[in-house]
Amino acid sequence: MIRFLLKRTGQALVVLFLVSLIVFVLLHQLPGGPARAILGPKATPEAIAHFNHLQGYDRSLPVQYGMYLKRLVTGDLGESYKLNQPVLTLLGERLPKTLLLTGLSVVLAALLAVPLGILQAVRRGRASDYVLTGAAFVAYATPVFFLGLVLILGFAQQWPLFPAEAPQSETVGGILAEPAGLVLPVVTMALGIIAMFSRYMRSAVLDNLGEDYVRTARSKGQSQVRVMARHVLRNALIPLASLLGLYLPTLFSGALVVESMFNYPGMGLLFWNAAQSNDFPVLLGVTLVVGVATVLGSLLTDIAYAVLDPRIRSVS
Amino acid sequence: MPTKPPKAPAPRTAEAAPEQGTLLHIDDLHLTIAGRGRAGEERTVHALDGVSLRLAPGEALGLVGESGSGKTMTALSVLGLLPPGARVTSGRILLEGTDLAAAPEPVLRGVRGNSVGVVFQDPLSSLNPTMTIGAQVAEPLLLHRGVGRAEAREKAEETLRMVGLPQPGERMRSYPHQLSGGMRQRVAIAMALVCEPRLLIADEPTTALDVTTQHQILELIGELRERLGMALVLVSHDLGVIARRVDRVAVMYGGKVAEQAPVRRLFTAPRHRYTRALFDALPERAAGTGRPLATIPGLPPTLVGTPAGCRFAPRCAHATEECRTQEPPRRTADEDAPDHTYACFHPAAADATEHAAEPATEHAAEPADAAPDADADGSEGPAASADAAGTGGPTGDVLLELDAVRKEYALRSGPFTRRRDRRPVSAVAGVSLTVRRGETFGIVGESGCGKSTLGRMAVGMEDPTGGAVRFDGQDVAGLDRAGLRAHRRRVQLMFQDSYASMDPRMRVGAILREPLVIQGIGDRAAQEERVRELLDEVGLPHGAVHRYPHEFSGGQRQRLGLARALALSPSLVVADEPVSALDVSVQAQILNLMRDLQREKGLSYLFISHDLAVVRYLADRVGVMYLGSLVETGPAAEVFARPLHPYTRGLLETADSAVVDEDAPREGSPLAGETPSAARPPSGCRFRTRCPLATELCATTPPEPSEPAAPGHQVSCHFPLVETARAG
Repeated sequence: MIRFLLKRTGQALVVLFLVSLIVFVLLHQLPGGPARAILGPKATPEAIAHFNHLQGYDRSLPVQYGMYLKRLVTGDLGESYKLNQPVLTLLGERLPKTLLLTGLSVVLAALLAVPLGILQAVRRGRASDYVLTGAAFVAYATPVFFLGLVLILGFAQQWPLFPAEAPQSETVGGILAEPAGLVLPVVTMALGIIAMFSRYMRSAVLDNLGEDYVRTARSKGQSQVRVMARHVLRNALIPLASLLGLYLPTLFSGALVVESMFNYPGMGLLFWNAAQSNDFPVLLGVTLVVGVATVLGSLLTDIAYAVLDPRIRSVS
Repeated sequence: MPTKPPKAPAPRTAEAAPEQGTLLHIDDLHLTIAGRGRAGEERTVHALDGVSLRLAPGEALGLVGESGSGKTMTALSVLGLLPPGARVTSGRILLEGTDLAAAPEPVLRGVRGNSVGVVFQDPLSSLNPTMTIGAQVAEPLLLHRGVGRAEAREKAEETLRMVGLPQPGERMRSYPHQLSGGMRQRVAIAMALVCEPRLLIADEPTTALDVTTQHQILELIGELRERLGMALVLVSHDLGVIARRVDRVAVMYGGKVAEQAPVRRLFTAPRHRYTRALFDALPERAAGTGRPLATIPGLPPTLVGTPAGCRFAPRCAHATEECRTQEPPRRTADEDAPDHTYACFHPAAADATEHAAEPATEHAAEPADAAPDADADGSEGPAASADAAGTGGPTGDVLLELDAVRKEYALRSGPFTRRRDRRPVSAVAGVSLTVRRGETFGIVGESGCGKSTLGRMAVGMEDPTGGAVRFDGQDVAGLDRAGLRAHRRRVQLMFQDSYASMDPRMRVGAILREPLVIQGIGDRAAQEERVRELLDEVGLPHGAVHRYPHEFSGGQRQRLGLARALALSPSLVVADEPVSALDVSVQAQILNLMRDLQREKGLSYLFISHDLAVVRYLADRVGVMYLGSLVETGPAAEVFARPLHPYTRGLLETADSAVVDEDAPREGSPLAGETPSAARPPSGCRFRTRCPLATELCATTPPEPSEPAAPGHQVSCHFPLVETARAG
């Protein structure tokens, strides 16, 4: 187990190195470059050259990348040109908020999707199954930004039940103190996840209901509900757990759209603003975080597998 | 049809089941399954049509039949555990007076696992993979007995001990995948018995298990039945399994009970023509006679709609107009046997001796709808393979030679494997054998003995890690790509599951043509001509080329599998369990076909099977494998009659034969224990851990092959059974 974790951590470091390399190279291919972005369109060539020299941008790319890596190892992710703050500080401030948003959405989605999926499986081929399946398709096919707009129009303007803007508090606690403001962003994010998860849950439950062990469980005299709760649920959650882990990076990109739409002060919004102003250090920092999340997600998947499925634990 | 219920069963022994009670009474049960046909049209299958059975307390009833006969439906309907779409349309299922067919779900739940326990076929898929076996066994107690968790655990452990699970206390925390197949089935039995039911329904309980494990499980069920005084319904397609384990047998065909009788009577003097034909199709019956197997032509009825007349009439050699139009009533065999009933207008003679001597005549009838049987010419050359009993079988030159072939697989390790658990699996450990031109070499062994690996190496699909595979004197492992391609023309494979081995999206024409295309033989027209030739040879209509594999029945697919193997006119066909998935009557058709084609083309077969009777019927010479080594080889008749290796003898004594000798006692000692893991094979002789004769020598020195009894009969054993062989 420990060997496995070490191995996976090693793999993760390689992946992160490659991610940073790719992002670094790509960002430096952007037209204009950071100098133009920061000094403005009226900056003189001399000023730009001076800036580039100060930042080391006049050196060759490999050298620049080497310098970047060197600082990275010491935990220095650079400083935002735009916000004049260390990237690490910015991330430390924004990441928990994004985690809060995605975490709440995932929890809400799981709480709804699992029972919905079971319901659809049990009612397979009946009206409720068709309605729920149809609704899930619509929700899944709708782009997040459109869904958000519809929700804002409906529940913030037509019937002003919830604010259209997310809480702007500096701290996580402050955000939690205004739950009404969280409703629309969380629901916007959660709907797509619910749609996908309930589809997977439905088919996983259906697969398991056809298994012989379910017949065995029934042959013991268990009720349908008990068979579902004691036998089918855990087996059906196995594929869902893997899905969740692999879905983590997608969640972050979903957060980007939702955060910019509701002006939620998370990492997505940070990235969005940085991208518009060529704020390289911030972009690199956020990308690295998403890279870590991706690697972590697949690791979590493996662990969840082992926890849920004893066959994986003792695979030979 | 108003049935005259058979009278209460005859007592098995004086104290077993007197006239009094009936535990289970199935009365004129009709059951339909709603489903969809291939074109998506709705169709209703009449799976059961007036089934009536009676079971006394403590009695054991065997339900036999081929797939689709309704035996499993009958058994599962007792507990209402029917597949989706299935519905009892009329009839009663009385369990101690309660009609379960009409009972609401809560009543059924009170019966399931409580007064009636069930054991299913596949012990792996029947157990919840994510739940410890202790929890699974304890579950019925929590449901029905209202006991606390601690008490339930205690009782579960006790039951696991009763079914012979070693160290039940520790195993309680194991998961199903950590147990062997036999142990899993023991767990499943414990689960069914933990509430001490009055009736145990065992639905093909040993079909997924090896011969030796099958024997142990059946013995266990019999023993527990005595101890708990419960009744048993044993469902099986295998007449050998039924033969010694039940008091009474009901033979099912096409959703009806064709014949019902006390077990000995049914096996010695069957009256219904179907029962008779089924027995005649058993390879045991033809082994060593050189005669082709009697086959039942055609396929079982699909039961869509209710045909008039006898269900078996379309396949029956004795059918008359009466059989096709009128349903035969149930009648009693004779005055002194009121418990022997059958539904046949033209029953076989009651004389048992006539039956035994009667040769295969049934296959004279060819139905128009079915694939024609290739054994029509069978009577002309009975001696062709009967000379196998001689010293060396056919004396053709050596075609395939395996020389001390070994195969080790590195175990792929998962993320949670401990390092010390990683070691190579020794699948084949130094096997030497030869297959001569025109002969059939049979390889017998239990699952995991390496017989399939050996087959793949013989074809050249896998390279041995040691030793040499020579074909026509040429080392197969040394072949380059072109050489290997040429080699494939001479050696072909035939699989157990022909369906899985064919691309489901290719038409049969393309499937059969593919080998020719790959090898670049002939132009398109010539290839298509060859395909038609192949279809003729295996007895399928030319129209088959336009159809897909799923449109064929199991037996027809196996014919296709054979046709594909023969497309390149190979000299050797490696057939890996080619008939294991087939019903007895269809199995006989395929075996006959393989034999006829062999004779016609001078083919050699390397025939791999776990089924002793099938190998005995088809093979000239046999090799017996155990855990990667070949323990005994020799002429088939010689090996089966006078086994020299303790394993071979154990295997023969363990196998359940459907040939019931009058009062022949079962002597000898059936094999106990389980095959060790190939990752940790025992030192010295690999069989020593299960061998009654093992000594220190066996643990230190691997035995060398010798010929202690007859030339050509080799055995690898320090203590071959020479004396026993002579005496026997």
